[in-house]
Amino acid sequence: MTDYRTVPTVCPYCGTGCGMLLEVSGGRLAGVLPQKGHPVSDGTLCIKGWVANQFVESPRRLTRPLVRKGGKQQAVPVEEALALVAGRLRDTVEKHGPDAAAFICSAKCTNEEDYLVSKIARAVVGTNNIDHCARL
Amino acid sequence: MSIKEKARELLEGEVDGVLGCRLVGGSHLPHLFTAAGIEDMAEDYPEGERYPIASIVRRLQTEDPGVRIAVVARGCDERSLIELSKQGQVDLGRVVILGLACEGDLARECGCAEPYPSEIVDGQRVEGVPDYSLVEKMDRMPADARLDFWLSRFGSCIKCYGCRNVCPLCYCKECALEDAEMVERGRVPPARPAFHLIRALDMAGRCVDCGLCEEACPMGIPLRTLYRKVGRVVEDNFDYRPGRSLEEKSPLAVLGTEKDLE
Amino acid sequence: MGENDNGEVRILAFLCNWCSYAGADLAGVSRLQYPPNVLDIRVMCTGTISPYHVIKAFQMGIDGVLIAGCHIGDCHYIKGNYMTYKRFQVMRDVLKFIGIDEDRLRLEWVSAAEGEKFADVIKGFTEQVEKAGPSPLRSGWEKDPAQWERIRNAFKPLETLEPA
Repeated sequence: MTDYRTVPTVCPYCGTGCGMLLEVSGGRLAGVLPQKGHPVSDGTLCIKGWVANQFVESPRRLTRPLVRKGGKQQAVPVEEALALVAGRLRDTVEKHGPDAAAFICSAKCTNEEDYLVSKIARAVVGTNNIDHCARL
Repeated sequence: MSIKEKARELLEGEVDGVLGCRLVGGSHLPHLFTAAGIEDMAEDYPEGERYPIASIVRRLQTEDPGVRIAVVARGCDERSLIELSKQGQVDLGRVVILGLACEGDLARECGCAEPYPSEIVDGQRVEGVPDYSLVEKMDRMPADARLDFWLSRFGSCIKCYGCRNVCPLCYCKECALEDAEMVERGRVPPARPAFHLIRALDMAGRCVDCGLCEEACPMGIPLRTLYRKVGRVVEDNFDYRPGRSLEEKSPLAVLGTEKDLE
Repeated sequence: MGENDNGEVRILAFLCNWCSYAGADLAGVSRLQYPPNVLDIRVMCTGTISPYHVIKAFQMGIDGVLIAGCHIGDCHYIKGNYMTYKRFQVMRDVLKFIGIDEDRLRLEWVSAAEGEKFADVIKGFTEQVEKAGPSPLRSGWEKDPAQWERIRNAFKPLETLEPA
């Protein structure tokens, strides 16, 4: 039997925080509706909010770390990916200095995660090259 | 009998689910109730929280063609369902309408001609005060002032597709507004006035004046005024109003007879 | 579709294969003179002309759109032109409401034998469109400072606009 319910939540994209309803039907995310009467968005959404459910089950969604080996992307364990990234970052900074590295954080991360990224950039690597996807 | 009482009764075997609202943190959210959960169904219908009920019915029927649903429907919801049925998108034989009349301020300010469904279960019928004053004002303006006005308002469009997404009558799998030849990709505001004209002309003979489009527009574009004009054009030329009758076909959907050309 | 050459108006004419296009052909064969501002597009029936075509034409900066089909009762597909007629009413009135003058959109019935009528229609319509002037949506309108200024000043709530 079909079931249908709506779950109120906040849009995962930018910092505005528009209220939206996730439509759940047959146990899956079926769509998005703007939440009427919401103090921030008052029943409206931008295009990113309207399609905010689509990335969840998108076939293009990244679910495992991918590393390019021999010209092709291959799924690898998280530890291997982290070791690769950390190692290359360290090498770059050692060879070319801290400002050779730059960091981009995201509206899809929590504020706390973005804060950690800024700490890694400034305290660990020693660069001010940090920005956020909302500015692009 | 109130809507909720009727809903309980229908769930005893006549329908599989009732599409109503559930109170969550002070907001009324659309929800499909089964017999098990019907007690949670809200019994008030705040004017500020209207959702595209007809679209939800259409999608539920698409997912499960055999499902029988009762739906709390206002006048505009019923008109949408009637139009969708005529266009082959909804099977009204599997839908029971629990009619809700819009009251007081909503009925007067929303401005549709008939803020009540054909059979009212809840709510006091209030005669609609259809507001065509803005349409008429526009009609009296000179053409170039009209164009400047529309170009200026369309200029604030952020191409969110909210008007299309929320419209109960919009169901095309391939939408003209997403066609690269009709609307150039990657431009905001989108092609003026083409973007809004496409929707306006597609709404001819189909728009039921529910007003959800203008409510969903973050930029306050006076869409309803435009679509009301389109509705009036169709009514003046063909004496047809969408959603008024299940038997009447839209003149733009059938070739018709020579009599229709008067 | 670039700038209008020499400031001349450009007209797009949708002609149906069986009647008006043949009528246009007859006008040509009969060496009837008519203004050269018209670009013809042959369609099988004017009933296949969608409002999208007309919208796109005006969006591209065309100054006038002519739809010429078979007379009522003579449509090769029996009733295609009924649709044309009905759609035309809606398009004309809605475009007028947006501010695109109804003088810029015309519907005519021209049969295959009416070469002279075709030439007359083109002459008449070209004059009409010339009087209406170049389209306010001509290529580059968004960069015209005067138009930009007028549009900016028009940005008001509809309730506060003066009717005349």
